[in-house]
Amino acid sequence: MTDTLEITPALPIPEFLVGEVRSKLAYVDETIRKAEVAISGNRITLHLEQAVDAALEAELTAKVQRVVTAMVKGAFKPKVQVLEDYLDRPVLYAEDPNTELLQRGEMHQETNGVYTLGPLVTRLMEYFEAQFLDLADSFGAPPYRFPTLIPAQYLQRVDYFRAFPHSLTFVTHLREDLDVIDSFSQHAACDEHGLNTAPDSFSKIQALLSPAVCYHLYFALADKPLPGGKLAATSVGNCFRYESSNLVSLERLWNFTMREVIFVGPKEYVLDNRETARNRMRDVFERIGLAYRVESANDPFFIGEFRKQAAFQSAFQLKYEIRARLPFKDSTLAVGSYNYHQDFFGRSLNITLEDGSPAHTGCVAFGLERMAYAFLAQFGFDVEQWPAEVRQAVKK
Amino acid sequence: MVASDLVDRVRSLLAEAFELPVDGIPPDLEFGGIKQWDSMGHMEIMLRLEAEFGIELDTELIRQLTSIPEIVAYIEEKEK
Repeated sequence: MTDTLEITPALPIPEFLVGEVRSKLAYVDETIRKAEVAISGNRITLHLEQAVDAALEAELTAKVQRVVTAMVKGAFKPKVQVLEDYLDRPVLYAEDPNTELLQRGEMHQETNGVYTLGPLVTRLMEYFEAQFLDLADSFGAPPYRFPTLIPAQYLQRVDYFRAFPHSLTFVTHLREDLDVIDSFSQHAACDEHGLNTAPDSFSKIQALLSPAVCYHLYFALADKPLPGGKLAATSVGNCFRYESSNLVSLERLWNFTMREVIFVGPKEYVLDNRETARNRMRDVFERIGLAYRVESANDPFFIGEFRKQAAFQSAFQLKYEIRARLPFKDSTLAVGSYNYHQDFFGRSLNITLEDGSPAHTGCVAFGLERMAYAFLAQFGFDVEQWPAEVRQAVKK
Repeated sequence: MVASDLVDRVRSLLAEAFELPVDGIPPDLEFGGIKQWDSMGHMEIMLRLEAEFGIELDTELIRQLTSIPEIVAYIEEKEK
């Protein structure tokens, strides 16, 4: 019996895939508490919730090898393109902000990946939100409000289930059945794993918690010509991506807030605006003095889709991430992204331009919690030392 | 290999990938020219090219090889 499992991957994991494979291992089995992949790519270590016997060990090993083979075999090596590199900007702080955030009551964990935030973090988020609203204004992008729930049928129509099944968060309710509801009201109780209610008490899944903001706009525009031939819009919303044991402090939340500026129209309109947005945000980050880099990236597609979809995104430069420096761990964190979806949503949802061709779409998206977190990781908690405009904003 | 043979070989590869008759694949076809040659169709072609011609493609080549003439020119160059 062992609670740590060492596995030699069936194929050596190239360095550019080490992080992607490690993050996917969290979904291999519920017994895995933490997974590590050596940077050499030749060793995987699984830390398990409890000791397992030889049979379960063999089963876990086989599942891990499935992940490795699916992701590594025939993987296309990405060529990372760096558009901006300001990682060497001086920072004021090198400590782990989590310690201070907890001590100050600025961060309180409700459950894995779900946090309430205190006034300092909230005001910082509001400061960044104001910058993103200015960006939206500069494009004349009016505000929209979108729901937190999204119909299952919507996500099916854009093939989300195949691309990101691991990160979905489902919404349900008790079935319309008096006995079921009575029984629930009398017997429902939680243990450390959750509610004790039988799964058949719940309705079929009709809705999920929305994983992104812009999808709602695309569905509102579906199955008709795009009015005026082009559109800019902005919205902010709660987004949900379940990341299992990869959920870590404010760096990786299950429930987070995303502000998006969204463009729909001809290819050139979308690409030009994405580039203009990047240039305008570069000025904002320069004013603040944020240490960051903008580089090509890919979405965290699930294992079966990863190889092809990630390579396509990378090849056609569809996604660039704003990666802010985290000095305390000598690492970076994606705080936003500049995205171009080509005509994927236009074709999938039948959003047409005047000539009948499918509309192209793109968005720039910012994670507000991550922005505040990265700022605190670089500038610390002594507000007097902060850049003047941030200091003034949080003191209002 | 004569250039026209190579064009036909690539056309056959695309036809198999897209489950279409070879006649449905014109020799100058490019990405987006038919609905099957979309993003996922493109990646399917890239995987099949690697297997068929024993080549290794990186993301820069994936972006470049977006038409039959470009694919043929690249393979011809590799096979010189």
